[in-house]
Amino acid sequence: MSPDAVAGGGNAAPAVRLTGIAKRFPGVVANSDVDVEIRPGTVHALVGENGAGKSTLMKILYGVQKPDEGTISIAGEEVAFASPADAIARGIGMVFQHFQLADNLSVLENVVLGAERLHGIGARARTEIERISAAYGFALDPDELVETLGVGQRQRVEIVKVLYRGARVIILDEPTAVLVPQEVDALFANLRELKSEGHTLVFISHKLDEVLAIADEITVLRRGTTVATVTPDTVTAHELAELMVGAELPTPSSGESTVTDRTVLEVRGLRVDDAAGRALLDDVDLVIRAGEVLGVAGVEGNGQTELVEAVVGMRSAVAGTIVLAGTDVTRRGTRERRESGVGYIPEDRQRHGLLLDAALWENRILGHQTRPPSVRGLWLDRGGARADTERIVDAYDVRTPGVDTTARALSGGNQQKFLVGREMSGDPVLLVASHPTRGVDVGAQAAIWESIRAARRRGLAVLLVSADLDELIGLSDTIRVVLRGRLAGTFDPRTVTPLELGSAMTGADASEPA
Amino acid sequence: MSRGARLWLYALAGLVALSVVRTVTGADDLTSAGTMRAAIIAAIPIALAGLGGLWSERAGVVNIGLEGMMILGTLGAGYYTYYQGPWVGLLGAMMFGAIGGVLHALATVVFTVDHIVSGVAVNIIAAGVAGFLAEVFFADLEGGGPTQSPSLERPMSITVPGISDWSADLSAQRWFLVSDLAGLINALTAGLSIFTVLALLALAGTGWLLWHSAFGLRLRSCGESPSSAETLGVNVYRYKFLAVTMSGVFAGFAGCYLAVVASSGYANGQTGGRGYIGLAAMIFGNWRPGGLLTGSLLFGFTEGARLRQGGESVHALLLLIGVALLALAAWQLYRARRAVALLAATVGAGALWWYLATEAVPDSFTEMTPYVATLLVLALFSQRLRMPAADGQPYRRGEAG
Repeated sequence: MSPDAVAGGGNAAPAVRLTGIAKRFPGVVANSDVDVEIRPGTVHALVGENGAGKSTLMKILYGVQKPDEGTISIAGEEVAFASPADAIARGIGMVFQHFQLADNLSVLENVVLGAERLHGIGARARTEIERISAAYGFALDPDELVETLGVGQRQRVEIVKVLYRGARVIILDEPTAVLVPQEVDALFANLRELKSEGHTLVFISHKLDEVLAIADEITVLRRGTTVATVTPDTVTAHELAELMVGAELPTPSSGESTVTDRTVLEVRGLRVDDAAGRALLDDVDLVIRAGEVLGVAGVEGNGQTELVEAVVGMRSAVAGTIVLAGTDVTRRGTRERRESGVGYIPEDRQRHGLLLDAALWENRILGHQTRPPSVRGLWLDRGGARADTERIVDAYDVRTPGVDTTARALSGGNQQKFLVGREMSGDPVLLVASHPTRGVDVGAQAAIWESIRAARRRGLAVLLVSADLDELIGLSDTIRVVLRGRLAGTFDPRTVTPLELGSAMTGADASEPA
Repeated sequence: MSRGARLWLYALAGLVALSVVRTVTGADDLTSAGTMRAAIIAAIPIALAGLGGLWSERAGVVNIGLEGMMILGTLGAGYYTYYQGPWVGLLGAMMFGAIGGVLHALATVVFTVDHIVSGVAVNIIAAGVAGFLAEVFFADLEGGGPTQSPSLERPMSITVPGISDWSADLSAQRWFLVSDLAGLINALTAGLSIFTVLALLALAGTGWLLWHSAFGLRLRSCGESPSSAETLGVNVYRYKFLAVTMSGVFAGFAGCYLAVVASSGYANGQTGGRGYIGLAAMIFGNWRPGGLLTGSLLFGFTEGARLRQGGESVHALLLLIGVALLALAAWQLYRARRAVALLAATVGAGALWWYLATEAVPDSFTEMTPYVATLLVLALFSQRLRMPAADGQPYRRGEAG
């Protein structure tokens, strides 16, 4: 296509027009009757809750998947993409939510991969990458290994990849999901610059304030279909939210304080090392009392994962003590800690929480394999486990055909509700929740928030790690910030703003101790 | 320091260590030209098998079927060399190996069968097919039999005039370091098989192709992150398929080398697990050509030493192993890795005691020296290895993002 056709906007043909797109997977309709028209030289936002079909739609536009029905036209010309290569040739580029980067390759190698004909794989390519990087203030070293880069830098590599191929239409799939507020501002500055140069940007998000801040037009998707296209000056965040869910959006809030004096978890001087002996966590002190939710905020990779794993017993402490309800459990294994009352919602439920190909009732036994009702003496109690699984399915509103269904067959939200139900079984005293609502739909999110509030009312201590600052502020009684393996600031969720937390998370806050 | 320079330095350090051991123990055959020659002949098939593994695993397919592809290679080499000479024999071996590779590629890439299951199947099928076809091919030939081919024509070998004689003389002098180096030079300049040269070229060529060409970048990206490659328009299936097929080609070459250079014809069971050792050498070499060559030479040297004055040479090596392990134990203790240190110290002390208490190592033990050495080296040095990130994982198109 000719780049001139997209410049200027106005009456020119739409940069992208999707008409009547439908895509079905076995048992699921991901998209149906989707109509989107994206004007050239604009930022077009695509909003919708998780599972509304945004990502599938964009994968279709980028040629990763083929639509079952409907047509795609680029700059007025109808096209059919057999693979991303075809989409790239038409000037479409995509920045994926889960970065598509090879850790063990250099920045240069990641960028030139698949586009080796443009500038080779050597010095000319390096010059071109440095030119793009400098033009947008990215400060990327082409020869650095991607595995050493932080999240923000990885995203910049993704953007360079797209620009290197000369893309005119750039799709960004939830680009802010992994960024702290300051990084989001930097990203938005880059996006505005790209727009002013005549690029067309498709911005996918469910964060409405961001969408309203950056978009020229907004298309709302609900249950796989487009329900409205609006401009930001004619709609409020509240109205957008209602369009997205078809009802009012739930908010996290904790209600009255239930904090007591009884200490449930006490961590003193905790240090955790990586394989090479470098400290991942150092000198961590924290106390959680019964009925208290302690929120931990931090940019991913600053030690929150290690903190959770140390508390649960998956990583051993090099120094320090962990005292659970008056008992020193520092040297105890994960099973013993769970038996003494730790419930754990892992950050990646599919890797750590569930056996995807096992039935729900078998998954119910996991982590409770020494305790009733799953076990009688040395033997598994199948009947007891099944009955208790039925209880969880009812009590936590897990939408499943039955307890013999495999975990894989459930949606992410239902998997997570089941997991929460399982971890709340067996009278825990401490609930460790790591990103409990990541990747779940709004309905499940509300249910999980309610479960955490219920746990707090029952007098559990809750350690909550989340990247969603609104969730942390809404649910926590106290918020601690983890930065480079140390607990930095302590904040009161009633008074703190996401921006202040963001500053502390990046270490930009001058008042925070080094 | 560049990776290449470091490899040369390691090689030199190894030679110095051997030279010291030879001088101290008086086991003069340890670094003689004959031992060096035997070492190279033992190392090359392993390096070639490892090279096959490298191609496959760099593209993300674990290839435990190397052994089977190598068996097919020995058979192909036996059949085609008998009728048409070693060059056609080499092509035939590569073709037979490639058939094994295609089989593995079909199973793992197209049908997403578990890589280990498919590899084991290739090994079993190859052994069965080779046993059957060997009888069909060779049973009625003069000098052949149901389990072996007649003796085969060898590929040409190269002798550099001047240097070869001069280094042979020098090697016989038993001077510290000089004679050891001369032994190595003699092995490389007198009677060096053209296939050895070809194998070394294949290693160097692979290194260049995979790390300095667009093709190689794409192939490696399939092993590191196939979904990224897919989103950039790389046809991951095609690269994986090609890589596994090439893996079979090199394994076939390895088999050919065994049949026509390392011995004088095809025989059933000739590979003797060298495909697996090749895989181990590749892992030891951190999935890189230079590293896998180092690993292969290590194995090849212990094999060469045992083939010559086995009892005496291996006995001398015990001293080296013992001292090296004790040094390693000290280093690991310093790094606060007590378990590894304890293991190294125990084995090291055992080796030293054995060295001091005996005069020679019994033959029954020298037979297993190369395997024990491989196991030890892998166990002790495989802690900082980095395999391709998506190695062994099934890949299906359309799941990116």
